[in-house]
Amino acid sequence: MTGMKVIVIGIGEVGRHVAGSLSADRHDVTVIEQDPARVEASQLDLDALVIAGSGASPKLLREVGAADADLVCAVTQNDEANVIAALTAHQLGARQTIARVRDDDYYDDDQSQARDVLGIDVVIHPERATAEDLAEAILLPGAVHVEHFADGRVSVAETIVTTRSSLIDRPLGERTRVRPSFVFGLIRDGRVIAAEPYHQVRVGDRLLVAAARADIGPVVAALAGRTETIRSAMLFGGGRVGLALARRLEAADLHVSILESDADTARHAAERLPHTTVLHEETMSKDALLRHGVDRTGAFVACGADDRSNLLAALHAQQLGAGLCLSVVSREEYTPLVDALGIDAAVSPRLVTAEAILRSVRGANVAAVHLMIEGAEILEVLAPAGCEAEGRSIQATAALTKARVAAIVRGEKVLFPLPDERVRAGDRVLIFNPRRGVADVQRSFQAA
Amino acid sequence: MNWQLTLPVVAGALLAVGVGELLCAAVALIAGDGGVLAFALPAAVLIPVGLGGILLSRGLTAMPLRPRDGFFAVTMAWVAAAAAGAAPFLIEGTFHSVVNAFFESMSGFTTTGATLLRTVEDQPDAILLWRSLSQWLGGVGIVVLVVAIAPATGLAGQRAFYAETSGVTADRLTPRIAQTAKIIWAVYLTLTSVGLLAYWAAGMTPWEAINHSLTTVATGGFSTRTASIAAFDSLAVELVAIVLMIASGINFAFYWLVLRDRRRIWPQAAEVRAFLVIIVVVTAALTLALVVSDAMGVGSALRASSFTVVSVITTTGFTTVDFDTWHAFARLTLLLLMFVGACAGSTTGGMKVIRVLLLGKVAGQELRRQLQPSAVQVLRLPGRVYPETVRRGVLSFFLLYMTVFAAGSLAMAAIGLDEVTAISSVASTLNVIGPGLADIGPTENFASIPPGGLWLLSGLMLAGRLEVFTVIVLLIPAFWRARAA
Repeated sequence: MTGMKVIVIGIGEVGRHVAGSLSADRHDVTVIEQDPARVEASQLDLDALVIAGSGASPKLLREVGAADADLVCAVTQNDEANVIAALTAHQLGARQTIARVRDDDYYDDDQSQARDVLGIDVVIHPERATAEDLAEAILLPGAVHVEHFADGRVSVAETIVTTRSSLIDRPLGERTRVRPSFVFGLIRDGRVIAAEPYHQVRVGDRLLVAAARADIGPVVAALAGRTETIRSAMLFGGGRVGLALARRLEAADLHVSILESDADTARHAAERLPHTTVLHEETMSKDALLRHGVDRTGAFVACGADDRSNLLAALHAQQLGAGLCLSVVSREEYTPLVDALGIDAAVSPRLVTAEAILRSVRGANVAAVHLMIEGAEILEVLAPAGCEAEGRSIQATAALTKARVAAIVRGEKVLFPLPDERVRAGDRVLIFNPRRGVADVQRSFQAA
Repeated sequence: MNWQLTLPVVAGALLAVGVGELLCAAVALIAGDGGVLAFALPAAVLIPVGLGGILLSRGLTAMPLRPRDGFFAVTMAWVAAAAAGAAPFLIEGTFHSVVNAFFESMSGFTTTGATLLRTVEDQPDAILLWRSLSQWLGGVGIVVLVVAIAPATGLAGQRAFYAETSGVTADRLTPRIAQTAKIIWAVYLTLTSVGLLAYWAAGMTPWEAINHSLTTVATGGFSTRTASIAAFDSLAVELVAIVLMIASGINFAFYWLVLRDRRRIWPQAAEVRAFLVIIVVVTAALTLALVVSDAMGVGSALRASSFTVVSVITTTGFTTVDFDTWHAFARLTLLLLMFVGACAGSTTGGMKVIRVLLLGKVAGQELRRQLQPSAVQVLRLPGRVYPETVRRGVLSFFLLYMTVFAAGSLAMAAIGLDEVTAISSVASTLNVIGPGLADIGPTENFASIPPGGLWLLSGLMLAGRLEVFTVIVLLIPAFWRARAA
C-alpha cells in the first residue's frame, strides 16, 4: 500500500527512523516536533512536512489533518504526551493510532484496555521489546538474534560462526543439514548479502538462517558450533531494559546479576527482582567486572542508558572472557562500532520500535517486518489470489521482487523450497531483502 | 501534654472497664456468692467519669498532634484501665495489698495470665469472670475498642491506634481507621463465640466455656481452675484450646483479607505459614525429647508437647502438664519460644513471627554483604518489599527488647530470685505468657515474688503488650523535655 497519510509525532531516534522508512515507501508523512533544533535538522534530511509544535494539541492535530490520517504515531520521549496525542487523534477520527509508552505503570499487558479506553490501537513499549529481543538471543544457544514469523511457525536466527563450526572454509552449498533449514543471508564485514551456495564460510561470519520454530535451536547450534545453554547472565545497567530483561531471564531460570551505577535505580531494580543479584558499583571498571565474575558469565548484556559506556562495558566483558556479549546501542552513529569492537550483537531500541510500528503500517499483506543493519529487512508477505507472484517459481519471484525467498509457510507446513517451487495463493512467503526497496515486494504480492 | 487526645482515650478505657465491672456486678447479684459491691462501687464511679471525660474532651481545642502524644495516651489508658480494674480485687478482699491487686489486674489486661492466687476455685464467680473479662478487653486492645465505638476520636485516635497495635508497619484494612477497628472487633467477637460453643461442645459447663473462650481468644491464660486446662483432663477440651489458640495467634487482618481481598494476602500468608511451621517443628523436637529423655509414650508426649508449644508461642499460658519437670533441652526450648510470639496483629505478645522472619533475613543479608559488599539488599517477603526503615526498625526493636529483658532479669536477680526464676519471670511477663520456670512454674504462682518485683513485672507486662517502644519512650528524659517534635 502506498500513499497513506501518516502523522509522526516526535522526531527523536525512533521518529526519524519511522518517518524515513515510511517516506521511502512513498507515504505522505507529516512530522510534528516541539524542539526547534530538531525541526530544523529533520526539515533538511527528511522527505516530509515538518511542523513545529506540540503533538498533544488538538488544534494542531486538526490543522495537520489528523481527522483523515491513516496513521498517527506518537513517539515522543514523553509517555503522557504520546497517550494524549494518540487519544486526541483517535477522537478526531484517525484510522489507526500508535503510541510509545515506556512506563510500566501505564502499560497493561492486555492491549484491549489501551484500545477500548484510550483509543490507541497499538501500544509500543520499546524497552520491553528490546529486552525480549535480547532474551531470545540469550536463550537460544549460538544465536545472537532470533525473530519469529507466521504466528511463530518459522524462526529466523542470526548466528556467528565460531572456530568450532563444521562449516569453516567450506562452501555453504555443502553444509549438512541437521534439520530442514535454509541459510539465506550472510553478514560479512558489516555488509548484508544474499547467501549463495558458493560462499565460503569464515570464522566471524554471521549467517541468517530460517527453520521451523522447533528446529531453530539445533540448526543454529550446528551452524555456530556453539551448543552449551547459557545459565547465567550479567547485565550492565538496571534501567528499564535491564529490568525487563532480568525479569524475562529470571523466569527462564537463569542466574542473573545486574551492575548499576545509580543507587536509586539499583534499589528500584532490586525491589522488583527477587532472584537477581543487583550490584551497586559507582564506576564500571575491569576490576569491578572481574570481581563479580564476568569471566564466568554465560552472557553479558550492556543495557545501560549511555551507548558509549555500553560499548565500553561490552568490550571489557568480551576481553575478560564473558560468553555471549550483547549491547544495546540506541544511536545510529555507534552501530559500526559494534562490529569493529568484536561485540557479538547489538540491539537497538530505535530499530525494535520502528519495526513494531512499520509492521502495522506496511499494508494488509505484509504480516511482519524485521529490520537489520544497512537497511536490510525480512518481510513476511501473504500471497493473495491473483497477485503477480502467484503461480511463479521461487526463482522468478526473487527476480520479480529483487529479493530472496527464505521460506514458504503453506498451511501448517514450513517449506524451504527448491528454485522451481511455485508460489500458491494463501502462502505466507518470507522474503529476505538485502537492500530496501520494499515497493517491489509490495507490488508483486498485491491482490489483483 | 495533648489532653485533646489523652483525655478521650483514657476516659474511653475507663468507661469500658466500668461497663465490664457493671456486668460483673450483675453476675455477682445472680450468683449470690459475693462481690456485688466490689464491682458496683467502682462501676458507679468509672462510668460517669468515663462519659464525662469523653464529653469534656469534645470541648477541648484541637492541638497539633506530636508523635509522643500517641505513646503517652495509650500508656496512660492502659495504666488507668489496670488501676481501675484492680479496685474490685481490693474491695472484695481478694488481695490486701495494692501491688498484688494491680499486678493481677495488669496481668489480666495485658493478657499475661500470671496470677497471685494460690487457689482459684474458691473465688466468687464475679471475680473469676472479671479476670476473664479483663483479658478479653485487653486482648485485642483497649484503644482499638475505644476507636471502634467512639469514632469521634478521629485522627487523634489513629495515632493511639498505631501506638497500640502490633506489627512492623502501620497497616490498615479500610480507608477509615474506625472501620478497621470495627473489623478487628468483628473477627474477635466471631472467634470468641465459636470458641464458647466449641468448649461447651467439648464438655465444659457453659460458665467455664464462657470464661475459657474469653481468655483463650485473648490468648490470656487465666482459668477458672487452679490447675488450668489440666483440671479438665479431656483431650477434646485440649484440642479445642489448641485450635482456638492458633486461630487467635493469626493476624486478624488475615481473616478479613481471606474473605475480602485475597490479592493483598501474601505478606500475611507468609507470616501465618512460618507461624504454623514453627509450631510443627518445635512440637516434633519436643516430642522427640520427651520420648527419648523423659521416657514418655509417643502419644502422651505429642499431646503434652503440642499443647504446651501452642500455649507458649501464642503467649496464652494455659498448662496441661508441669513442663518445669521436663528435660533441660525442652525447658530451654520453651523459654526461647516465649520470645517468638505469634503473628503481628493478633492478640498475642512476644516479638512476633514477622519480626523473627525479618531478623533472620537481615542477618542472612548482612552475612552475604561480607562477601559481596556492593550487592543491593532488599528486605522482602513473598508479595511484599519492605522499605529500608523497617530493617532499622526491626533491628532496634530486637535490641531494645533484649535490653529490657536483660535489665529486667538483672533487677529480678538483684531482688533475690534465683537465676532461672529471674530470667523466666521476665521472659514470661515481657512476652505476656504467664507461667515460667522454677519458682513460677506451671504448678506455682507469682505469690513468692516480693512486692518490688511485682511492680517491675507489671511494668514489663505493659511494655511487652505495647511492644516496648510505646512504653520505653516515656522513660527517656527527652520525652518530657523537648518542646519541639
